[in-house]
This record gives sequence, structure tokens and C-alpha cells, in this order.
Amino acid sequence: MDRRTFIASTIAGLAVPALVRPALAETPSLRFRDLYSRGMELAPEAAALDGSTISIAGYMAPPLKPEVGFFVLTKLPMATCPFCNDASDWPTDLVVAYAADPIDVVRFSTLIMVEGRFETGFKTDADTGFVSFLRLMDVTYSRA
Amino acid sequence: MIRLARVLVSTVSTLALAAPALAQTALPQASDSYFVSAQEQLAALVAQQPNTGKARNVILFVGDGMSIPTITAARIFEGQERGVDGESNSLSFETLLPYVALSKTYTRDSQVADSAPTATAMTTGVKSLNGTIGVSQLAVLDDCSTLAASSVKSIFEIAEEAGLATGVVSTARITHATPAATYAHTVERDWENDMGLAKGEKSTGCTDIATQLVDWSFGDGFEVILGGGRSNFMTAETADPEYPEKTGARKDGHDLIGEWQAKYNDGAYVWNQEQFDAVDTATTKHLFGLFEGSHMQYEADRAKDAAGEPSLAEMTVKSIEMLSQNKDGFVLMVEAGRIDHAHHAGNAARALMDTVALSEAVKAAYDAVNPEETLIVVTADHSHVFSIAGYPVRGNPILGLAGDNADDGKPYTTLGYLNGPGAAVYEGEAPVAPEGSDADTALTIRADLTNVDTTDVDFLQQALIPMGSESHAGDDVAIFAQGPWAHLFHGVVEQNIIYHVMAKAIGLGGAK
Repeated sequence: MDRRTFIASTIAGLAVPALVRPALAETPSLRFRDLYSRGMELAPEAAALDGSTISIAGYMAPPLKPEVGFFVLTKLPMATCPFCNDASDWPTDLVVAYAADPIDVVRFSTLIMVEGRFETGFKTDADTGFVSFLRLMDVTYSRA
Repeated sequence: MIRLARVLVSTVSTLALAAPALAQTALPQASDSYFVSAQEQLAALVAQQPNTGKARNVILFVGDGMSIPTITAARIFEGQERGVDGESNSLSFETLLPYVALSKTYTRDSQVADSAPTATAMTTGVKSLNGTIGVSQLAVLDDCSTLAASSVKSIFEIAEEAGLATGVVSTARITHATPAATYAHTVERDWENDMGLAKGEKSTGCTDIATQLVDWSFGDGFEVILGGGRSNFMTAETADPEYPEKTGARKDGHDLIGEWQAKYNDGAYVWNQEQFDAVDTATTKHLFGLFEGSHMQYEADRAKDAAGEPSLAEMTVKSIEMLSQNKDGFVLMVEAGRIDHAHHAGNAARALMDTVALSEAVKAAYDAVNPEETLIVVTADHSHVFSIAGYPVRGNPILGLAGDNADDGKPYTTLGYLNGPGAAVYEGEAPVAPEGSDADTALTIRADLTNVDTTDVDFLQQALIPMGSESHAGDDVAIFAQGPWAHLFHGVVEQNIIYHVMAKAIGLGGAK
């Protein structure tokens, strides 16, 4: 299946690792609130997964424009594009998810499970100039 | 007079004679634990004496969006967290503040209010228009030409002119609607900084809310200002001390924090927990604390804040320590501003935790003042579309599933919202019934929560109507009070009466 494809899960009961009682998959999962130990200080458990394929549940923030190959994953739904607000209102715990192809947009309030290769550390996107600290590369995602 | 006395004596005699007869016919429920408990409550109510003394201090606590179901759910949550019975538990203000009324929150132009006119009602005594702060019904939203004629005076401005001390505390941005109603006058609540103001078509002649706070010239100014919203006081060229990748929001070049420091050379500006803890309240005459660029953290997330933030209770106690130095008394507003934000996000857990934080702040305040001479009021500005549903058994986790399944064969949570982000939206997937469902099971696309931990702090309760932000509600909210003239809070009252009772208690602002 093409990586850009949004996998419309028909398993309505499949919920996210963050909220589901039993562990679901072999892929290690992270929860948003476990990314940082304090402030922007990366938690050791998160740092240890740098370079690994992980899954994380969250919400796709409305993209800045259509036909982009990345989206911002947030802990709680954001009805507006996070970059359309004042910088002070951006959540500090964003994860930027990069896909190989233009993404299929999912409604901002739909909980999704995203799987991809976890990268940590500041990096500037060569095309957009966008600076990120936590990234998921080559992502696939499905409705949780 | 003699005849009246005889009648009284006669009545008393009759009662005295009748009492033993009543005792002989004890009710079958007389020893029931609920009956006995209610008898004790009755005795406490009978013993209650109105306090008609003059208040030295007034503290107004506002739980933003703290609807009555929020209070009920929070009391259950707080009890269950402590391992005691949640349903019969009480938050601090439910026991410490015995006088209660219902507050009608509609505004001059809306059935359902936002926080701007409701805060104005409480701080100035008049109802006004949604979206406006510190102005009367004569204002026109977004039209600065109506500002001068519609501006009204807050009890904080009146108190400062009378020589009292004043303070404002909020976990929201200090320029947000509720705290702003203590000092600002604006026909648009969103004009928190100069850039917000610049977007207004008819904003000429108006001043942004952050500037109004620093320029505030009543008395010797607020003794205490504690909250979030640092970016509205910093220039766009200045890096934030806590988040160096972010900057201030102001484009007019005004460093309002620096201007405040220049204005109050007896004051201290703080932006993190360590600095806050180090403030010597005996020598610091003015305190300005801005602990986040935007809103302060939710109570659930506060421990992980980069620079550390004080709790609402800590800020309340520090404020009282400073304000109490004024022998004439003080007026203080304390807002739990993020109950509202969590509800807007459809996230009940954080709303309840912030409500518990408010309860702790009220207890801390009660312990820090002489309650006999301090009118303490706890209320909400408006409600939310949040409810407690189903027939969960006693002791069921308040954030858990209600028990029985709905007609679609799926479980549902006790707590839920009429609208908001938690609503399921059709995105092409076929509705399915859970395995083993009957043929006539209703088909819905809402998630099956069977294996979901709905007590997780990040869980969003399900909602009916999809909206990016869950909405306020128009039902009445509660007012709790204790202290001088607190007994005036009873029955169903207009929200703006709160100002009038506070003014009467402390003897200011046209009190009769």
C-alpha cells in the first residue's frame, strides 16, 4: 500500500496505545506526555528510541496549505493551523510527521495512530525552512 | 406589649409540653444514617448567623466555565483520587462557603455568554455585550467611537481610589477576558496586544489590553498581578526567557515589562517558580508575575513546565500576604482560567483537575484570612455543554464508562459533551456494530470504547455535534459565599448582583 494512503481503519474498536489497556503491537509506542521529562528536556525513554520505528497517537493539525508532504501531530485537537496563531500559542510538544508523498488530510479532531522512524534534535527543513525538534519520517497513519 | 408577651409565653409553653409527645413517636427512619446525617446538617443550618459587619477584604474566585456539573464531577473526582467516597465528598468551597445562589449569566445581547461581559458584570455591576470588557450596554462591539461613553468603573478601580490594596491572579493570560475586567475597558476582548488591535477596522483611539494594564493609574496600582500572557508584554524582537525559540508578540516596540519595572521601583517582576518563591512579601510592594508566554499550564501538566510555575493556591496565598499589609483592606480576584479551556478541548480530566486546584486555592485563602471580616465569593462566569449521564453505580470512576451499552451496542462514558472535538465525523468508513450485536442494533460511527482507558488524562469525551471548540452553555451557574453580607447570596439572582453585594460588604462603589 502506498505510504501516503490514509488507511481508513474499519476496526472501529482499535484504539490508540496511549489509551488502550493492553499493549497492541510490537512497534514501540510513545505517548505525547512521555516525550519530555520537563519543559523541552527529552525524556530518556524517548531519546532511547531515536532512529527506531515507533507509533504515537495524536491529531493532525490543519495543514498550512494543501499538497504538502508533512503534517503536524498534536496531543489535543487544534481547530486551526498552529502556525496561523501567535507563536506563543503554539503547543510546545509538536511532532512533525513527514510522508513520502503529499498527505491525505484527516479532520483535525480525528484521533490517528502514526507510525514512522523517530528522529530527535533540531533540524531545518530544506524546502520550507521549518524548524522541528521531534520528527517521524516515512509515516503511515490510520484512524485510531 | 403585655398581651404580646403573654401570647409568646403561651406559645413557648405549648411547645415545651408538646416536645416530649413528639419524642415518643420516633419515626422508623430516625436511626437511618442518612436521616441522622441530615439532622446534623439541619442543626448547622439553624445555627447559621448572618454576618452584617463591614468587610475588610473581598476575594472573588472565578472558575471560568465551572458549570454545576463540573463542580459535581470534580467533587467525585477529588474524593475518588483520595480514596474516599466521591459522591458524598465536598470541595472546599461547598463546606466553607455556606450561602449559595444561582446566577443568571445571559448578557445584553446573548442567551449564552462569553467571559468578557460576565466578568464585567461581576466587577462593575452592569450587564453588557458579548466580546466587550469594562463597558456598558451603550458600547458597540469593535467600534472604538463608543468606548468613551460606555466605559464603566470596576470595583478594583474604586478600591484603589479609596486606598485599598488590589490584586488579580489568573492561570489564563492576564490580558484574557476575566482578569482584564478588573482593569481594562475595550470594545473587543481580542485586542490583547497591539497586533490584535491593529486588525480592528474601527480600533482607532483604542488601547490594547496589555498596555492598559501597565498604564493603569488608579491609586498606587495593583499590588499583585500574577498570571500568564508574557508575550503580550514583550516586543517581537525579544526572545522569550523560557522558550528561546519564541518571541514576544508586540510590534510597537514597547517593552511593557520594562515599563512596569520603571513605574514601580519598589516592585518585583518574576516569571518562574524560583523567582516567585524568592519574593519577600514584607518588602515587595508591587509584584508582577508572568509565568507563560500564553496561558499558564493546566494543573495536570504543571509539574513538567520548563521553568516551573506556582499553583493557583500558591499564587493566592502570596497575594494575600502582600495585600494584607494594607490596613484598610483589599480586593482580590483569583481566576481558575483553564477549566474553560479544557472543556473547550472536550477534555474533562483536565477541567476537573483545574477545578480541584481552585478548591485548594479557596481553602488556602480561607486559612490565610480572618473569615469573619473577609467576604469570599466563588462562582463561574458561564456554563459549558458538559453533563453527567447514564446510571453508573456508586463508586464508579467518574471518568469511566457509565455501565450499560447504548443502542448501538457500544459503551459510553458518564461524562460527555453536547458538542465539541469529541464528535465522530463520517469520513467514508462504514458504520459497524460490535461483534455479537443484535440485528436491530443501531449503526453509528462513534468509536467503540470497550478497550479504551477513558480515565486517561488525554482522553476526549465523546460529543454529539462536531465543533472544533466545545461551546459555552446558557444554564445558570452557582455562587458560593461566606463572610460579611454573604447571606445576600440566595435564590436565583442576576450575575451583576455579585458586584453590588461585594460593594455593599466593603462599603464602596455606590453601596446602599
